[in-house]
Amino acid sequence: MPTEILGLIIGALFGAGLLLGGLADPDKIIGTLRLKDFHAMRTIALFILVGMLGTWILDLAGVAHFSIKPAALVSVFIGGALLGTGFGISGYCPGTGLACAAAGRIDALVSVLGMLAGALVFILIYPNIVQPINDIANYGKKTLPDITGITRTIWTLAMVGVGLLVLILTRPRKSTVTS
Amino acid sequence: MEELIVKKSPLPWWAAGVFLGLVQVLAIALVKPLGVSTQYVVADAKILKQVAPEYTQNHPLISPEANNGKYQKFGYGWRLDIGLILGAFLAAVFAGRWKLRCSTVWWQTNRGSGICGRFAAGFIGGFLILLGARFAHGCTSGQFASGWAQLSLSVLPFTVSMFAFGMLVALIVYPKVPQIEK
Repeated sequence: MPTEILGLIIGALFGAGLLLGGLADPDKIIGTLRLKDFHAMRTIALFILVGMLGTWILDLAGVAHFSIKPAALVSVFIGGALLGTGFGISGYCPGTGLACAAAGRIDALVSVLGMLAGALVFILIYPNIVQPINDIANYGKKTLPDITGITRTIWTLAMVGVGLLVLILTRPRKSTVTS
Repeated sequence: MEELIVKKSPLPWWAAGVFLGLVQVLAIALVKPLGVSTQYVVADAKILKQVAPEYTQNHPLISPEANNGKYQKFGYGWRLDIGLILGAFLAAVFAGRWKLRCSTVWWQTNRGSGICGRFAAGFIGGFLILLGARFAHGCTSGQFASGWAQLSLSVLPFTVSMFAFGMLVALIVYPKVPQIEK
């Protein structure tokens, strides 16, 4: 199948999942950041754990398509701080902003325009500001198994094991399962 | 006027979590990990090429020669974002959640029903989000979710700073807690 069609299909599944799981819902995201509503946090945690487990299995089978981001520690930390600030103000992020706009949220559409403005400023400051910061403490495309010498198998099984245990022990009693 | 209450999501957390995780696994098996924010730069780069061709030609990020021209191409990532919009639209319609609205429950609880303030928050928030996502080489999808799936080193500083700043800012902007449907 050509990757263009694959892109549409995988994107559509992703968008549907974000919306149905409450991640494309600014009220659920702010509830998460305020530690008052744990639905989205649990969804995110399981999303990550299933992804980690599946990636490990794909890697064992030799069919994983990795795309490791460079560990430019200072640039990534600054980026996380800026993104976190915008996340805490709006309750959106680049993917869920698009999904929420598609669900009829006009404020999400305005947020997407803000994101396009942010991307423009990024392009303008890239040569003089972004590139120099990106070179500080940049360790390249490293993984946690690379730098710790502990195998992906052990990392994955430990994190998935502990993560699932925590999710099960803290599961909501009068659950959101019955709908 | 509608009662101010945060409605629960269409799917339970475990079903949505497993589903999204499997979408990630599918993406990594067939193409590459999920990511969204690069395409915002692509959209701007395409426009800049029209309005300022000389500037674009010599730019170290978005010129057709730099980075294999990935910021001048509508490729797989662009289709993924189009698909995301379509998928979210259809899911919202079929789940009965498609609704024209300008604000959120948390915003109205804390900042009243005016929509100008909410739009300003959306725009400023969006601006910081994309600027930050590109400094970080990815957003909540490409850096956070895909970073953890692949166990990248970069996901550690990103997770710490995103949640620390997100939680602090949300506490300042949204001090009052609305009713939340369990």
